[in-house]
Amino acid sequence: MSKLVLTRLGMALLSLLAVSAIIFWCVELLPGDAAERILGRNATPESLALLREKLNLNLSAGERYFDWLRSLLSGDFGVSLVADRPVLDYISGRIANTALLSGFALLLYIPISIALGIITAIYRGKFADHAISVIVLIFMCLPEFVIGILLISIFAIKLAWLPPLALIGQANSFGELLRLIALPTITIVAAMSAYAVRMMRESLIEVLESSYVLMARLKGLPTWRVLLFHALPNALGPAINITALNVAWMIGGVVVVESVFEFPGIGRLMVDSISHKDVPVILAISMVMTGAYIATNLIADVLVILLNPKLR
Amino acid sequence: MYGKDILRLSRRKLLASAGAALAAGPLATTLHVPKSWAQPKVLRIAAGEADGASGTMDPAQSTADPDAARISLVFERLVVLDDSFAPVPQLAKSWESNDTGDEWTFKLQEGVKFHDGEPFTARHVVHSFKRLLDPATASPGASSMAVIDPSAITALDDYTVRFKLKSPTVEFPALIANRFTYIVREGQPESEMRTAGIGTGPFKVKSFVPGEDVSVFVKNEDYWRPGLPKVDVVELRAIPEESARIAAIQSGQIDLCWDLGRAGIEELKKNRDVKVVSTRAPFVLTLSCWTDTPPFDDVRVRQAMKYVVDREQMLQLVLRGYGNIGDDNPVAPWVQYALQAEVRPRDVEKAKALLAEAGYPDGIDIELYTSETTPGFIEMATLYQAMASEAGIRVKLNKAPANDYWSAVWLKQPFVCSSWSGRGADEALATPYMSTSDWNETHWKRPEFDAYITEARATLDVAKRTELYQKAQQLLRDDGGAIISVFPDALGASRSNVSGWKLHPQQSTKDFSEVSIG
Repeated sequence: MSKLVLTRLGMALLSLLAVSAIIFWCVELLPGDAAERILGRNATPESLALLREKLNLNLSAGERYFDWLRSLLSGDFGVSLVADRPVLDYISGRIANTALLSGFALLLYIPISIALGIITAIYRGKFADHAISVIVLIFMCLPEFVIGILLISIFAIKLAWLPPLALIGQANSFGELLRLIALPTITIVAAMSAYAVRMMRESLIEVLESSYVLMARLKGLPTWRVLLFHALPNALGPAINITALNVAWMIGGVVVVESVFEFPGIGRLMVDSISHKDVPVILAISMVMTGAYIATNLIADVLVILLNPKLR
Repeated sequence: MYGKDILRLSRRKLLASAGAALAAGPLATTLHVPKSWAQPKVLRIAAGEADGASGTMDPAQSTADPDAARISLVFERLVVLDDSFAPVPQLAKSWESNDTGDEWTFKLQEGVKFHDGEPFTARHVVHSFKRLLDPATASPGASSMAVIDPSAITALDDYTVRFKLKSPTVEFPALIANRFTYIVREGQPESEMRTAGIGTGPFKVKSFVPGEDVSVFVKNEDYWRPGLPKVDVVELRAIPEESARIAAIQSGQIDLCWDLGRAGIEELKKNRDVKVVSTRAPFVLTLSCWTDTPPFDDVRVRQAMKYVVDREQMLQLVLRGYGNIGDDNPVAPWVQYALQAEVRPRDVEKAKALLAEAGYPDGIDIELYTSETTPGFIEMATLYQAMASEAGIRVKLNKAPANDYWSAVWLKQPFVCSSWSGRGADEALATPYMSTSDWNETHWKRPEFDAYITEARATLDVAKRTELYQKAQQLLRDDGGAIISVFPDALGASRSNVSGWKLHPQQSTKDFSEVSIG
């Protein structure tokens, strides 16, 4: 298994390098440059020239990319062109915020989707199964911003239970923080649980019909024991893979949720940086997102192997 | 790696909230304004334009709306404008010019101090204007004040400053009441100007980091106008999504916001906890065409394009009535020097006749660029398309992305939606329509027009000056390439416990010194 992990890590480094080159090239293709984006409609030819000089935008694209790569190798992510501050300092707070939001979403998502998966599998073909399936599928079909706005208008405006925007700077206590991120967390969970619930349901049904579960029943074990200790571990594999994919989706999909709720996370920063053509920040964020994507997939693979004695 | 981050973060937040138990001293500072013990009066305000990484509080570099808000909190100007765009004193007590209007002397307020205790004197004024005009500063505001000779700004004594101008400018006091001319402290290093400026204003900057969500300002205890400001802390954030801004004010997450759209105001009027604020503003919404490019190079085509507009309907459908009708003249009728004329009525037959006369009996096909960058553009363009089609002006709409509209479309395409924030008559005419302007969006170059403006600037007699400015407006209205059908009101809202707040028709002026809460 350590061999698997090592090869995968090597591949990961190569992917990161490729991603950085592709992203840099794509950003180059966008019209305009950071100087134009900063000055906007107030730009005059003189102020543009001065700013370009200051930001080193007069160098060729290749030179700028290799400069960036060289300083990255010495551990320096560079300085944001627009915010004029070190990239690492700039993005670390945002990464922490997004990780917090995603973390809470996962914390809710895993037990909920496993529980719903079990219920739908046990009551397959009955009312509970149909009702839950329809509801999770509806949530899956709705875009996140629709769910988000729906939740805001119901829980923040009509009922006034929760604050509409996740302005987490306003939190003075852990409880307030929870209230502020409740709606975005629920939005994320609602948008992504359908896959896992369906996957959980399918694989559990398969396992429940297998001969060893029948054997366990015949031994006279109580249903909950059969479910939790015999059926569930074997049914978890596909659900874990789906969860890994979902986490990867979340890293990108959280962009929309962050915008709807004004959450100060990595997704909104990415959008902001692209609209300013702030290349060092865009590259750093893509590195982090790609890294997280690779890491979650690797972790999922390892978990699946650990859960399955045959692969261990 | 992912999981570890989550753990670290949630623990950090937990520590911070639990207080001192686990030596959380440095962590606790991440949470600002401990509301529980001191009960400072905190005013939470939200701008409507995005405040991204490009944010600044350096007056010379002010571009976005949140920049203007930060600068208004911390700095002050010699002269400010009243609601009709006439100049009134702020850091200057009084001013006078010589007989030719090319030498201006300002007497300064005494007893005013900068936030670091340094007395406000003439040398800071001299420094501020020299810095603004210095090419090395690269201020976008420099070109509009090119009339000032930077080497001839002199401090006559501690409280008297004299400006020598390159040409006579009767409207000079109003000219220096713009978003760039705030007085900064001489001796403050340039590296601090962007994030930690020292001014004389009602609030001091506590924390502002470009790209972070909240800028925090605290009361200037030594502020020179007695009894002001009325709140202890101002938290500024930007919420660009209008629906989010409305939700935030409805639920009390913010206390005050501006830049609201017409639909949002209707929604907020139903809420008893929210007060709606509106101000008549000469904000210009225009459709602008290049007058040197066919088919717009024929004045009859341009007039036809103006005759198809039903201005009342524009007002009702684009602005839901929150605004005033325009007459293809950027000087709104209530602004000083405005031309008072009968508004051009809609006349489709006349438009058709004009087109035929210009050699287009079958009408014209034109392409109009629009975008979501300014509220109202899309509605205005769509409605114009419908109105114009009746006269055989077939408009093809092209919706461009909002984030680079001003750098990629405006000044680059021959027929575009454009907007200009409220300005006094001279600036409203000169900035977009003088031959020499960097921002001549209609490519309209008329020596007579330039001459009217230049002559008006040198004419001390008010009646004669008014006449000249009005001639310029008449010429622009009849011959120019701008179709200005409406002036939208400035709209904002506050919680009902906020008082003393007024929106200023000069968009970049945001005075929060008299606002109180609770």
